[in-house]
Amino acid sequence: MLKEEKQTDADLVKMAKRDPELFGLLMERYQGQLFLYIRRLTGLGQDDVQDLLQEVFIKIYQKLNEYDEVLKFSSWIYRVAHNHIIDYFRKVNARPKSNSLEDYEWEKIISASVQIEKEIVDRDCAEKVKLGILQLPIKYREVLILRFLEEKEYEEIMDILKKPKGTIATLIARGKEILIKQLKAQNINCF
Amino acid sequence: MENLIKKTLGEIKKQKIKPAPRWQYLLRKYALWLGFGAMIFLGAISFSVAFEMLNQLDWDLYRFAHQSAILYSLSLLPYFWLIFIGIFLVLAFFDLRKTETGYKYGWLKMSVFSIGGIILLGWFFSLVGLGGKFNTILAKDLPYYGQHLMMTKEKQWMQPAAGFLAGKIETASADKLEISDLNGQKWIVLLDEKTLTKPAVRLSIGERLKIIGSRKEVNVFQALEIRPWSGQGKGNGSGGGHGMGNGTGAGAALAK
Repeated sequence: MLKEEKQTDADLVKMAKRDPELFGLLMERYQGQLFLYIRRLTGLGQDDVQDLLQEVFIKIYQKLNEYDEVLKFSSWIYRVAHNHIIDYFRKVNARPKSNSLEDYEWEKIISASVQIEKEIVDRDCAEKVKLGILQLPIKYREVLILRFLEEKEYEEIMDILKKPKGTIATLIARGKEILIKQLKAQNINCF
Repeated sequence: MENLIKKTLGEIKKQKIKPAPRWQYLLRKYALWLGFGAMIFLGAISFSVAFEMLNQLDWDLYRFAHQSAILYSLSLLPYFWLIFIGIFLVLAFFDLRKTETGYKYGWLKMSVFSIGGIILLGWFFSLVGLGGKFNTILAKDLPYYGQHLMMTKEKQWMQPAAGFLAGKIETASADKLEISDLNGQKWIVLLDEKTLTKPAVRLSIGERLKIIGSRKEVNVFQALEIRPWSGQGKGNGSGGGHGMGNGTGAGAALAK
């Protein structure tokens, strides 16, 4: 396995094209990250997320010949996963579930958005903030997740969402702005 | 999670899933670039036709038509082609956006690529005369286009009531010309000491002219200014008087 770890993603892609079994090495490398990403975006339970992840991996396998090495492999598979999730939302006409993020994850987004100096002391308040974030349109929500939870650089977010850098920056800024407005409009003053 | 890998690999084998051939991906990829190229090409053709139309018109006639320069210019614009340029520009823009790397360019760069591509290629087409040829073919094969959708030099100059007349000299004397206008109708064009004859004009039989002035009677036109059919015959004029054959030779108007 150590030897496999040294292989680059591009090497593994080439190998997986020849032998599907070797695709397992790529899955092993990225399943954790993609699992979390899908869960954060959809808020589904573990079994559903696993089902979606399996569909995503099959799609990645089918698209292996589309991978271009000028792009980071991780960005490319996040892009495939992202597109699959968007298709999933369209297909089932669903919205993200409210239990999609852990508390520490919410706090990351909230602190990045509101720049709090004080800790969130009131749990009820935190719940309201979570609801506020969930009310954000998906286009704002997904950039906030990619930037503050997946900790992706702007260039990577560009590659994943296929949007220009300026648009990404605007979406992040606007997402934060809307969130703050929503909180103020609801007289939520937790900070 | 270990199960997920096994399960997925099992599914791949069971359904005999294979990576899609690269040519399919390349076909999609290049089709988008081809689409972008096609939109730029069509936009450039439209641009060169519009440019050709605008280039052959005289833009200073607003002074004689007693209109503002802006309003007169607006009345001459080839809207039909401007709409096409706009459509192809928008399609080129969105095609470029859809390409594999399109998202990296940003709105400004994509606009510059699309607009620049259409202008540069259109300008090249104009240089090689493609716009003019295309326009001529359309006017010939599509009568509606020729009659209603294009502002031609002929239309601009065949408005005797508005003070613009064009035609070919049939006879010429010191104080009058007899011309046959673009519709074949005969006119007497009166000349006097106030008539400005541009240097490039040759007042000889068979020459085609553009005349600014006013209609006096039916088929009688008082000339205020005479220009060669091609261009404006720019120069200092003939000092107010109407000189016969005071053109500049090579630059003289030639009948088509």
